[in-house]
Amino acid sequence: MAAPSAGSDMFDEIVMAEDRFHGEGYQEGYAEGSHAGAAEGRRCGALHGAKIGSEIGSYLGFALTWQHLLPKCTDEKDSKKMRALDSLIGMIQKFPYEDPTYEKLQDDLEKIRGKFKQVCSMLNIRSDFRISNERSSLTF
Amino acid sequence: MSWVQVVANRSNEDIFDEDADEMYPVQKEWNNTMRKRLKEGYRDGVEAGKELALQEGFNQGYRQGAELMVACGQFRGTLNALLSWCHLNGHDSALRKINNLLEVIGKHEEDLLKCLNSVQLQPNVGDILDSIQDMDLSHIAPAGVDCSEVKAEKYGHVGSSDENCCRNNGEDGSLQFDCNREKLFTDPDKSTLAWVKKQTLWLVEQLGLSLDILHHIQQLEH
Repeated sequence: MAAPSAGSDMFDEIVMAEDRFHGEGYQEGYAEGSHAGAAEGRRCGALHGAKIGSEIGSYLGFALTWQHLLPKCTDEKDSKKMRALDSLIGMIQKFPYEDPTYEKLQDDLEKIRGKFKQVCSMLNIRSDFRISNERSSLTF
Repeated sequence: MSWVQVVANRSNEDIFDEDADEMYPVQKEWNNTMRKRLKEGYRDGVEAGKELALQEGFNQGYRQGAELMVACGQFRGTLNALLSWCHLNGHDSALRKINNLLEVIGKHEEDLLKCLNSVQLQPNVGDILDSIQDMDLSHIAPAGVDCSEVKAEKYGHVGSSDENCCRNNGEDGSLQFDCNREKLFTDPDKSTLAWVKKQTLWLVEQLGLSLDILHHIQQLEH
């Protein structure tokens, strides 16, 4: 190590050495932390995304199917149901459910849930799909 | 004597030599200080790296999870719609079948969730999930679907032979699928949804429902 000539240089050197060691540790830690964080974040995100994807998918599958199940030559009551289904489908198709950075994700999801419940009640279906004779239908 | 002074004295050779013994504890103190700085740096680094990567990883995982599960959800929703329609229209004989299919989908979703939850242990989650999506896409290629349907009809029943058939399709049709084979994912994903789809189509035909519904079910998994 070259001998420093003045006291101020000495301090600089010491401070620099401290910074250097801190920096080396930081870099090593940063790499380690990034790796762990990415894995943890991905797992957590995947579970969260899976939940919402599954929920949104089920509303869409339900609405698209019922859209075809409703009678074609409609009376006023049926066309009201159809309009509600169309509106639900429109809301879902506009909803970027797969984008976690979309700031109104939760708001839109709540609105879709509400619309779904409304559609179910218009169709005279329980939104949890339990039916009175489910038990007997399951017996062989 | 502080180690600042020791370092300053290095300019004078004689003093440096005479103080050799005294240098030792000072050197130790220096080493300790630097080790401490290294550790502090490491801790700060871990924290900073984790914080940044967590959000990024979450966003990445979220997208993959959502895109993976939306297909299952659509099957579940479709089956629930059929279930409620059959119930309202007195087709009670179909209810058991639909409930069975719903159970299969529910189990399948559970399996996928388990996979997603344990995926962190594997080094290349992204690659595996990408390959699932690739497989899903290759599966819906019209040729593959036609083939499995033809074979199913030939055998006259579905189930295990049907599942084999699906695997054969993968082997014949797509080299990429073969390379990315990940048993945990391919088996439930490829054969379960394909099987449920076929069963649902059959059911809809039995119920004499409109072609629009058949068409909607054909389009599932996209």
